[in-house]
Amino acid sequence: MSDLGFSFSLSQLWQVAGGQIILIIAGLVLIFVDLWLSRDEKTDHVVTMGWLTALSFLAALWYMTGPGWRLNEIVLVEVFSAEKFGLFVSAIVLMAGIFASLLSIGYLRNNQLGRSEYFILLVFAVYGTIAMVQSVDLLMMFIALEVMSLSVYVLAAFLKDDRKSQEGALKYFLLGSFGSAFFLFGVALLYGLTGTVNITKIAQLLAMGPLLENPGVLVALAMLMAGLFFKMALVPFHMWTPDVYEGSPAIITGFMATAVKAGAFGIFIKLLSVAFTPMLAYSGQPEFQSTVNLAAFAAYWKPLLWWLALITMFVGNLIAVSQRNVKRMLAYSSIAHAGYMVLGILAANDEGRMGVLFYLFAYTLMNMGAFGVLYILDGQEGKAQTLEDYHGLGFKYPTLSFLMSLFLVSMAGLPPTAGFIGKFYLFAAAIKEGYLLLAALGILTCVIGVYYYLRVIWMLYMVEPSHEVVAGRVGVISMVALIAAALGIMYFGILPDGLAQVANVAQQSLALVF
Amino acid sequence: MATLTHYIVLSSILFGLGTIGFLTRRNALILFMSIELMLNAVNLMLVAFSNFMGDMAGQVMVFFIFAVAAAEVAVGLAILIALFRHVREVDITRFNVLKW
Repeated sequence: MSDLGFSFSLSQLWQVAGGQIILIIAGLVLIFVDLWLSRDEKTDHVVTMGWLTALSFLAALWYMTGPGWRLNEIVLVEVFSAEKFGLFVSAIVLMAGIFASLLSIGYLRNNQLGRSEYFILLVFAVYGTIAMVQSVDLLMMFIALEVMSLSVYVLAAFLKDDRKSQEGALKYFLLGSFGSAFFLFGVALLYGLTGTVNITKIAQLLAMGPLLENPGVLVALAMLMAGLFFKMALVPFHMWTPDVYEGSPAIITGFMATAVKAGAFGIFIKLLSVAFTPMLAYSGQPEFQSTVNLAAFAAYWKPLLWWLALITMFVGNLIAVSQRNVKRMLAYSSIAHAGYMVLGILAANDEGRMGVLFYLFAYTLMNMGAFGVLYILDGQEGKAQTLEDYHGLGFKYPTLSFLMSLFLVSMAGLPPTAGFIGKFYLFAAAIKEGYLLLAALGILTCVIGVYYYLRVIWMLYMVEPSHEVVAGRVGVISMVALIAAALGIMYFGILPDGLAQVANVAQQSLALVF
Repeated sequence: MATLTHYIVLSSILFGLGTIGFLTRRNALILFMSIELMLNAVNLMLVAFSNFMGDMAGQVMVFFIFAVAAAEVAVGLAILIALFRHVREVDITRFNVLKW
C-alpha cells in the first residue's frame, strides 16, 4: 500500500499489531454493545460484558501467542515492532486482563456496581499497555503510556461513593502525570540530541560513540527513568502506591500491580537494552564494540539501580510488616516485588532479563489470585480488610483460605511455587554478575517477607475468630479463575523449564530489533 | 538573536518552575496547572528543536501532546470533582483519609 505514503503494507501492519487491532475493535464494539444492552434496564449485563471482554483478551492472546509468535523475522512498521519480547510481556498483560475481567464479574455483582464502562476502560487499559511494550518509538510509548494511565486513573476512582477510592485516584493521577511529564521531557531531549524518537535509530546513533559521552544523553536517560520509576513504583517514587492500592476496587488494584507494572518493566528493559546499551555490541558485532565504551556508560546507571533495588526491597518489606490492612500490606509487598525485579535489570545479562520476564509471569498469577480471594473475603468493599478480620477464617471458608495461603506462599517465595523459581532466577542472575552483597541483602529482605506473608496464614488458621465476618458470594467464574491461577503457580513452580525457555527466547529477541 | 540554547534554557526553566510548583503548592488545581506548565515547556522545546533542525516531526509531536494533555485534564478534573463532592475542599493536605 505504498500509495498511502507508508513504508509498510497492511498485511505487515496486521502481522505486527494484530493483537492491538483486535483490542481496539473489541473496545469500540463493546461501547456499542453496552449502549444496546443498557436499553433493557431490568437485566444485569455485567456478566455479558465481562465475558465479551475476557473473550476479546483471549482472541488477542491467541493472535500473539499463535501467528504473532511464529513470525520469525522482525517486522517493523514505523512505530511498532513484532519482536518476541513485546509479545511475551503483552501475553502477561493479557493474562492479567483475562483474570481481571473474569473476577470483576463477581466483584461488580457483590458490590452492586452495575456500570459496565468498567470493562470498556479495562480493554483500553490493556490496549495501552500492549501498544506501549510493542512500540519502538518514544512518542508512541508516551501516548500508549497515557492511554493506559488515563484508563487506570478512572478505574481507580470507580467506587464513586467511597471517598478512599476518589482520594487514591487523585493522588495516582497527580503523581502519575507528574511522572509522565518527566518521561516526556526525556523524549524531547533525546529528540533534540539525535533528531529522532525511534529507539532503534537512537541506538544506532549512540553506538557510533561520541553521543554516549554527551551529558545531555545522561540527563535524558535520567528523565526517562524517573518517569518510568513512578509507574514501576520503586522507592522513592512509590509514595502513591499504598494509597491507590488501598483505595481502588480490589480487582483493579490487582490489575495495576500486575499489568501496569509489567508494561512499565517491559519498556524499561526495552529502553535500557535496545536504546541505551545497544545490544548490537552483545550480539557479536566487533565493529561496534571497539567504538562504544558501553561499560563506562553503564557505570552511570548501574549504581543508581543498585541503590534503588536495595532501598525498594527494604522499604517495601519493612513497612509491609507494620500494616494492619491486608490490601495495604499487599501494596507494600508489590513494591518489594518490584525491587526484586530491578535486580534482574541491574544484572543486565540474559539470565536477568529472563528472570524478570519469568517473575512478571508468576507474579501476575499470584497477585491476581490474591486480590481475587481478597475481594470475596471482603464481602462488600471495605467491610473486612484488616488482619483481625481474617482471624479463624480458615475453617469457615476452607477453599478460599487454602487458595489465599497458596498465593501468599508463592509471594513469599517458598518452594514448590512459581514465586520461588522466579526469585531464584533473579538472585542467580545478580550473583552471576558479582552483586553478591546486594543479593545477600535481598535474600534477607525475602526473609522479612516470609514473616508477614505467613502471619496472614497464621491468622487464617491458628487464631480464634474475634468477630463474625461474612464473606461475599463466591461466583463460579471467580472460583474457576482462582483455581486456574493456583494451578498455574504450582505447575510453573514444579516444571519451570518450558516457561523459562520461552522467556529466554523472548529476551533474546531484543537483540534483533534493528 | 535567539539561539537554540536560549530556547532550551527557557523551556528548562519553565519545566523547573512546573516541578517546583507541583512540589510546593497545596491547591490541587494549582498542581494541575503546574503539570500543564511542564508539558508546555516540553512542547516549546520540541518546537525549538524541530525548527532549528528543519525537521517537522517535532512539531507534529506537539499536537499529540496537546491531545494527551487535554485528555489528562478532562480525567483529572473529573476525579477532582468526584472527590470534592466528599471533601468540599481542594487543599491536598486535607485529602488524608489515606495516609500520604
